[in-house]
Amino acid sequence: MKADTLAVHGGFGGDNETGATAVPISQTVSYAYKTAQELADVFDGKSPGYIYTRIANPTTAALEVRLTQLEDGIGCIATSSGMAAIASVAMSLARAGDEIIAATGIFGGTVSLFENTLGRFNVKTTLVDVVDTNNFANAINNKTKLIFIETIGNPRMDVPDIPAIAEIAHQANVPLVVDNTVTTPFLIKPVEFGADIVVHSTSKFINGHGTAIGGAIIDTGNYDWRKGTFEDIKKLSESVGQLAFLAHLRNLIYRDLGGCAAPMNSFLMLQGLETLSGRMVKHCENAEKLARLLQSHPKVSWVNYPGLTESKFSNRVTKLFDGRGGGLLTFGLGNKQRAFRFIDSLKLAKNLANLGDAKTLVIHPASTIFHEFSPDEQKSMGVSDDMIRVSVGIEDFEDIRADFKQAIERAFKETK
Amino acid sequence: MNLVINGKEKNIADSLTVSQLLVQENVKMPDMVSVELNGQILRRTEFEETILKDDDKVEFLYFMGGGCGIN
Repeated sequence: MKADTLAVHGGFGGDNETGATAVPISQTVSYAYKTAQELADVFDGKSPGYIYTRIANPTTAALEVRLTQLEDGIGCIATSSGMAAIASVAMSLARAGDEIIAATGIFGGTVSLFENTLGRFNVKTTLVDVVDTNNFANAINNKTKLIFIETIGNPRMDVPDIPAIAEIAHQANVPLVVDNTVTTPFLIKPVEFGADIVVHSTSKFINGHGTAIGGAIIDTGNYDWRKGTFEDIKKLSESVGQLAFLAHLRNLIYRDLGGCAAPMNSFLMLQGLETLSGRMVKHCENAEKLARLLQSHPKVSWVNYPGLTESKFSNRVTKLFDGRGGGLLTFGLGNKQRAFRFIDSLKLAKNLANLGDAKTLVIHPASTIFHEFSPDEQKSMGVSDDMIRVSVGIEDFEDIRADFKQAIERAFKETK
Repeated sequence: MNLVINGKEKNIADSLTVSQLLVQENVKMPDMVSVELNGQILRRTEFEETILKDDDKVEFLYFMGGGCGIN
């Protein structure tokens, strides 16, 4: 089956008993077995079955199968949020004394997780600029346990050379973790470019409607855990082969951290996936139109959209995303005051901390999602005081154009 | 042909696909099973097109519960 079909049918062939075509919501904590031996066999791994929704759930399992198919992986674990997904992966791979290499310009929450939260457990993170891929080779050492990048860094809009970074990672036998949240499998399947693990915040484009928080971890099957440097996962591979990493999560890290997906949220993610392909086309079309509009506007100081042919990442966008630049862009109006007035003047676009909604969303990153970072740290993360981030929605573009044009005019008029 | 299924030798009909083997072996929860063929996990989309050969080693794996015998 092709991706558009898998997005609609993957993981669920219909309910044989009732004929229901939507995946049933298994709103239950636990699963009863008729005999003590049956439950003991499930606990012992001798028989398949569900035990407890913190570990696995039928609705969530359908989502996991569908995401596995869309990312062309070997398995998936859905989580309570994107941050839970990244935390689970990092804590599975890194121990005290180990190191992480991550791209600068990735989501501030991920930087905080690596530097602040995991830093408390003596895991060190080195941030490197993705513009020059050699930075990854220079930063890697024998303590490096994972390299983490986003397909498009948010909000710097940097596009890493994924296959080149994968090569560097694999030469050092280090897994490459790729956050595919902002591009989704409909712009890129990171497995095809050497990614070993793919993570998602499914709350964004996959959900698509701003109605549920969730995340996902997909093992692409590229990394051979039997030959890896992770002794506990390597030991597991003796019994479960390539599934060792996911088993390590399911039966230890993910299980113990408790970041499980809620069944209702998994249902909403499944629904979102069904229309993801069509939405991504419109997100990209509208974002490119808006980027061009802003680029030609005399009052706009700068625009950063990787889908523009003038972007320094244009070649990578062509190679990795088939020329589609995604639904996110940033632009500047010269100073913070104008940025605030612009946001206050918008009538259609919503001012909030999210992205990937069907609706057009804006935010002033420096004073919100990056407020905990110092000005110097913000600068290194590509966040400027005049920056406005836009998650371009799927509304009729003429309405987006009219809203942005009037808000830009008001941002400047009131400065007089 | 002879297959090794979950570590046990078994004689089955020739030219069976993985999908057909799941049905023939009455594998529990077939939507959730992962299939390892000769040490490599198969993509679910490969189940229907993968034809089994003599001496293939097949493992049916689940990682959905306490599972995998690693608790």
